[in-house]
Amino acid sequence: MRQPGSAVIGLEIHVQLATASKLFCACSTDYIGAVPNTNVCPVCLGQPGSLPVINARVVEFAVRTALALGARVGQFTRFHRKNYFYPDLPKAYQISQYDLPLAEGGSLPIGDGKERRAIPITRLHLEEDAGKLVHSAADGRLGHSEYSMVDYNRGGVPLMEIVSEPEIATPAEAREYVARLRQLVRYLGVSDGDMEKGSLRVDANVSLSRKDGSLGTKVEVKNMNSLRALERALEYEIVRQAEVLASGESVRQETRHWDDGNGVTCGTRGKEEAHDYRYFPDPDLPPLVLPAGFVEKQLGFMPDMPWVLKERFCTDWGLSNEDASVLTEWPGLARYMEECVRCGANPLRAANWIRTEILRVLNERKIPIEKISVSPENFSALLTKVEGGDLSTTLAKKVFDLMVSEGLSLPVAIDRLGASSGKLTGPELKAVMDRVLERETSAIEEIRTGKDPKGKKRGFLCGQIMREARGQADPGEVAKMIGEILDNQ
Amino acid sequence: MNSLGLTATDLAAAVKNREVTAAEAVGASIGRLAELEGKVHALLTPLFDRALARASEIDRKIGKGEDAGPLAGVPVVVKDNLCMKGIRTTCGSRILEKWHPPYDATVIRLLEEAGAVIIGKANMDEFAMGSSTENSAFFTTNNPWDLERVPGGSSGGSAAAVACGYAPLALGSDTGGSIRQPAAFCGVYGLKPTYGLVSRYGLVAFASSLDQVGPFARSVDDLALALDVLSTPDPADATSSRRSRPVYRACLGREDLKGLRVGVVKEFEAYPVQAEIREALGRVEGILRGAGAEFLPVSLPTTIEAGLPCYYILAPAEASSNLARYDGVRWGLSVEAEHLLDLYMKTRGEGFGAEVKRRILTGTYVLSSGYYDAYYLVAQKARTQISREFTEAFRNVDMLLMPTTPTLPFRKGENSEDPIQMYLSDVFTLPVNLASLPALSLNAGNSPGGLPVGVQFVGPRWGEETLLGAAKAVERVLGKPAAAFGGEGA
Repeated sequence: MRQPGSAVIGLEIHVQLATASKLFCACSTDYIGAVPNTNVCPVCLGQPGSLPVINARVVEFAVRTALALGARVGQFTRFHRKNYFYPDLPKAYQISQYDLPLAEGGSLPIGDGKERRAIPITRLHLEEDAGKLVHSAADGRLGHSEYSMVDYNRGGVPLMEIVSEPEIATPAEAREYVARLRQLVRYLGVSDGDMEKGSLRVDANVSLSRKDGSLGTKVEVKNMNSLRALERALEYEIVRQAEVLASGESVRQETRHWDDGNGVTCGTRGKEEAHDYRYFPDPDLPPLVLPAGFVEKQLGFMPDMPWVLKERFCTDWGLSNEDASVLTEWPGLARYMEECVRCGANPLRAANWIRTEILRVLNERKIPIEKISVSPENFSALLTKVEGGDLSTTLAKKVFDLMVSEGLSLPVAIDRLGASSGKLTGPELKAVMDRVLERETSAIEEIRTGKDPKGKKRGFLCGQIMREARGQADPGEVAKMIGEILDNQ
Repeated sequence: MNSLGLTATDLAAAVKNREVTAAEAVGASIGRLAELEGKVHALLTPLFDRALARASEIDRKIGKGEDAGPLAGVPVVVKDNLCMKGIRTTCGSRILEKWHPPYDATVIRLLEEAGAVIIGKANMDEFAMGSSTENSAFFTTNNPWDLERVPGGSSGGSAAAVACGYAPLALGSDTGGSIRQPAAFCGVYGLKPTYGLVSRYGLVAFASSLDQVGPFARSVDDLALALDVLSTPDPADATSSRRSRPVYRACLGREDLKGLRVGVVKEFEAYPVQAEIREALGRVEGILRGAGAEFLPVSLPTTIEAGLPCYYILAPAEASSNLARYDGVRWGLSVEAEHLLDLYMKTRGEGFGAEVKRRILTGTYVLSSGYYDAYYLVAQKARTQISREFTEAFRNVDMLLMPTTPTLPFRKGENSEDPIQMYLSDVFTLPVNLASLPALSLNAGNSPGGLPVGVQFVGPRWGEETLLGAAKAVERVLGKPAAAFGGEGA
């Protein structure tokens, strides 16, 4: 039984599927930055007489997601019309699914190890997106607009709605659930999962349990455009409801919008209209009966789930939980890591270098891992050189930068820096060292007379020798040789 | 050579053989129109210039020895709910008075690819809702056989155009009888194909699960020829069947009907049907028997009891949703308004006629929460039951012989104040749509008063060949239907 007053959260997530064409026509789904009303045709404009035809690719993507969630894929599903008037909805009905969704059940795991728990999924269904209203007011809102324009480029873009059971207990859990789902759709390659662009939209139903443990009045919270916004909005809403109840009033069933700037949820003023969507089966679309073998075929497209990979990174390679989380966030990054290890890189060093160097470059250049010019083979060869003491860390980073900036292969980058790949050691290193020591007599003098208690001068000498050796000496060996020379005299 | 008296089949052959040019054929149609259209008012939008230009193209093709298609140079009239790119398509409604579709309906494309020349768009009841063309927002078409009477509807303009001999072929659409009833009233053949045989892409929807496009003609061969052209499977229509189609023209060669089992619906015997229609049924039965067919009684109790109410729940339900897109935002009529709700109310209030509003209200009501189960869902179940009943009947018979309508063409204004009386005139036609079946209405002679009398054949799904074959047998005896007003069209 739920604790009285405890939060009960259920999430409805709309995921835009990354198909090239729309749900019911061949128009491009690439609406971001497109000239308004150019990616349209009679079908997605709802021109009289036009008819929808389902895009098979959309069904494949949705089935893959359903399988990844362990949901039951319906062999017989159908589409309904959800009827309502609004200028962004060209047919005045949205084609959606109602009584027979594409998939039901399943769950999404959150938490790690012993903390892991599965949030049950209610259903997964397909529907078409609406167009977009552009309001003339300076703040882009309807309020003070003289006029509004409508862009139907987004109309008919495929959406997959995933509804969770109301079994999420905290804002942090909600955040993790969304993060995991986002990660999942990215792994499956079915969506870019970008919340800011609107490819992944979260609506939350929040209530506080009553004294007898039953569900309280639920409030729907919308307009949360990032994971952080989601968490803050839920935190705010839970406190707000608790305060309403504490003051002896009751929570009103309503839709509230998250105002990120002011950090509050706002109710819509006035009475909310009770919508009667008059759902009925769309007579233009025969029931969708998946052909034999369709679902099985999709199993062939299933990658390792991110949570499985993460666990493997920790147990097989001894990576920290945090390292493993970062490296499995994007499927490309995880693949890159796996490739590096396969090519012989030390997993811990690889993890460290990917997090510091690779991610830095990706952030600086705002590119995905797939676009980086350094192949996992080259990168792991670089790491192996560091591992073997052939390159100092400092020099290796310079080599890496050169590989990135000029697209050079490892040997060419090393040559460019003048560091032949041979390692400087023994008598050759001794010769280099002697040259430096000859030059830096004052520093030697200070060390010998005990004026370098913190070893600063000693470090300086080390650095000078490494520079002279163009980084190809092993810093440990250098320090040891300096010690032998200075301390024995 | 006078092309007006020719069937589409013969005309296409004559054009190919250069006995007549497409331009001459179209010119003759325009001449016939000039003579009669002032009395009949069949067309909402004549397309003469376009038609003459297309005819010249076809003549050029033939001049170069190219294949101009099975309908080369054949003038055709199409109902004004079929989209033609850049051509005004009104659906008989103020709300689409100035709408020019950006695309062609599949059936329009098929016709034109086959060499047909579309000479005009035909009048109709607004959004195909009606049985008389009196619900057209623009004007009422007159029955060519008696100008005081209605031509039937909703495809009244198409039927009248063929009856007048404007063109040997016309397209209509049939949701509850809208091809067959006007075919009967105007004394021509009209075929409502099996649901899914002809593409609906570009047919402005009334009730999507019931609508089918089909041809009017004054020869059975022409019906078959048109069906051969129109019945191409269409990937743009998810309800278009992918099954392979026979060559319908090929089924007309058989002289006798030996082994054909024809059903007569017992429950219809008791239904009030005008005597002239009963006599016509007897005449046709005699002809079919004479050709070797045998007659058997069949029973369709649910169909008789529930068909009409079932239809008048489901069709308006779908219509209320299909017609919601006419909101003044994107196309068609848009009445200036203060705010959004005002825009919707004024545009729809001024743009739709009374019958359309009546059906939108009915449809919205039966889909509303609290009423859905009692109306829509019950009607769906009844529809399933009606389909089963027909399937059961077709285990024992190959086709049914039924009246098309309970009455001969009624006078203008006679039923227009009484929607229920108007709805009752669909009692024999709409069960066919509910069960997705094919049906063919044929002229079976005239009443003593000179009005055409029609009867219909109803087949099992995909049973068009049987219907065409039986109609051909009747045509052999009764001859092809005459053109109204006689003259060159006869």
